[in-house]
Amino acid sequence: MTRQEIDAAMVRLGLDVPEKERDELVGASRYIEEMARLVKKPRWVGAEPAHTPAFPPNSKGE
Amino acid sequence: MIPDFLTIAEAAKLIEKKEVSPVELTQSRLQRIEKLNGQLHAFIRVLPDEAHAAARTAESEIMAGRYKGPLHGIPIGLKDIYETAGIPTTGHSKVMQDHVPKADAFTVTKLKGAGGVVMGKLATHEFALGGPSFDLPWPPARNPWDTTRFTGGSSSGTGAAVPAGLVLGGTGSDTGGSIRGPGAYCGIAGIKPTYGLCSRAGILPLAFSLDHAGPMAWTAEDCAIMLQAMAGHDPADPASAKVAIPDFRKALTGDVKGLRIGLIRHFYTTDNEANAATHDAIDAAAKQYEAMGASVREITVSPLAEWAAPGIMIMMAEAYAIHEANLRTRFTDFGEAFRDRMALAGLWTASDYVQATRRRREMVDELDRAMASLDLVMTAAAPTEAPQIDEVPKFAIMERPSLTMPFNVTGSPAMSVCCGFTEAGLPLSFQIVGKRFDDATVLRAADAYERATPWRGRRPSL
Repeated sequence: MTRQEIDAAMVRLGLDVPEKERDELVGASRYIEEMARLVKKPRWVGAEPAHTPAFPPNSKGE
Repeated sequence: MIPDFLTIAEAAKLIEKKEVSPVELTQSRLQRIEKLNGQLHAFIRVLPDEAHAAARTAESEIMAGRYKGPLHGIPIGLKDIYETAGIPTTGHSKVMQDHVPKADAFTVTKLKGAGGVVMGKLATHEFALGGPSFDLPWPPARNPWDTTRFTGGSSSGTGAAVPAGLVLGGTGSDTGGSIRGPGAYCGIAGIKPTYGLCSRAGILPLAFSLDHAGPMAWTAEDCAIMLQAMAGHDPADPASAKVAIPDFRKALTGDVKGLRIGLIRHFYTTDNEANAATHDAIDAAAKQYEAMGASVREITVSPLAEWAAPGIMIMMAEAYAIHEANLRTRFTDFGEAFRDRMALAGLWTASDYVQATRRRREMVDELDRAMASLDLVMTAAAPTEAPQIDEVPKFAIMERPSLTMPFNVTGSPAMSVCCGFTEAGLPLSFQIVGKRFDDATVLRAADAYERATPWRGRRPSL
């Protein structure tokens, strides 16, 4: 990501990141992008569930 | 005269026979803390009055014939994310330095109920993620084998306190390796139990779906003793499993004959390349298991980065959600390591997070398939010995894929086991991993290895 993209993202997130730390975020943003790429695999639309909650029988308060 | 170093099992034997009193033992540990904590920074809060009171109670109970078991009268420490009634629980952070819980964490109640004597609160990385940091209200813990070295994190205070003999055992938490990392760098035993075996209620969270509570101690046997006390169903933790808790210590037969172990070498030979000392020590450990009658065969699974990515993403996204309000209003009250890691986490989208959870499901299935004809797998716990504490990069957890995170993703029981030392005297370790809810076999294999090798006979000279 570019410095401009990081600056825009921090505004959107509402994070007051000190100036000197922003360039480090630019440098490290490649790790974020690489991990996001790694978890995106070709999957059929119904290839779920992923940690769908399973409620125990008494969870309705019965 | 009480020795500087005792295991929980050794001390328990002496206490049960009334050869050592819990009060004497507690006093000896307080003296050791007084002597060494200035170098190690393992404790951020020592509780001498509370410890003395608990020790006196234990002594009275034992003298009255009400011996509770092997934790009765044993000095332990608590990572400062475990809530303690009336005593600050800070997460090692300025943001929560005034937080005084009203109640003990479920696991703290259980440890106290088993007779454990709480000596104080131990250092952690900020909220179990940001560290080592030098800009927090307390300094980072130091490695007792070489105080210029990193303890690993985030259960850094426990990692420092146990080998130094400040306590006989302590609590850790493990979201991506925070028990096994300090276990490896500090040369102790630490088990991340199966997800759901120990309640997280009353423990400051890092990431709800990956957090595990567990014990750290000098030996696998001591971990078994502590895990016996900590494990058990708790309705206050939605992930808490309703399962029968086996007798972990009884499982420690010393016998591994017939156990089938898969060695995941590519994790530390190509995916996150270990140094020669680590490599050789793990090879020797595998041979040791074979010599004891286990079968060890190399297996190949997806590259380490495929396991680490969903774990890191889920961990950091969940942490961001937990701390979002404070990050927006008090960003610079957090340490730089924590806040900048969180700022990066904010760059992921909601879709990225969901894709990570889908990937997690696939990785769980993959490990189950890989272990279908195995009892255990082993691999490295860390690629090297402990690095210099001031040379740990801010984004280290992202730069190289974590060797420990795969088993947080899968919820498997996983343990660090010391398997030797470098020429400079720094510990080396491997990781042994079991099937979910077969924590007993992990402990059994670790204990058998410890009994057959000389490494538990060596302590740091301080």
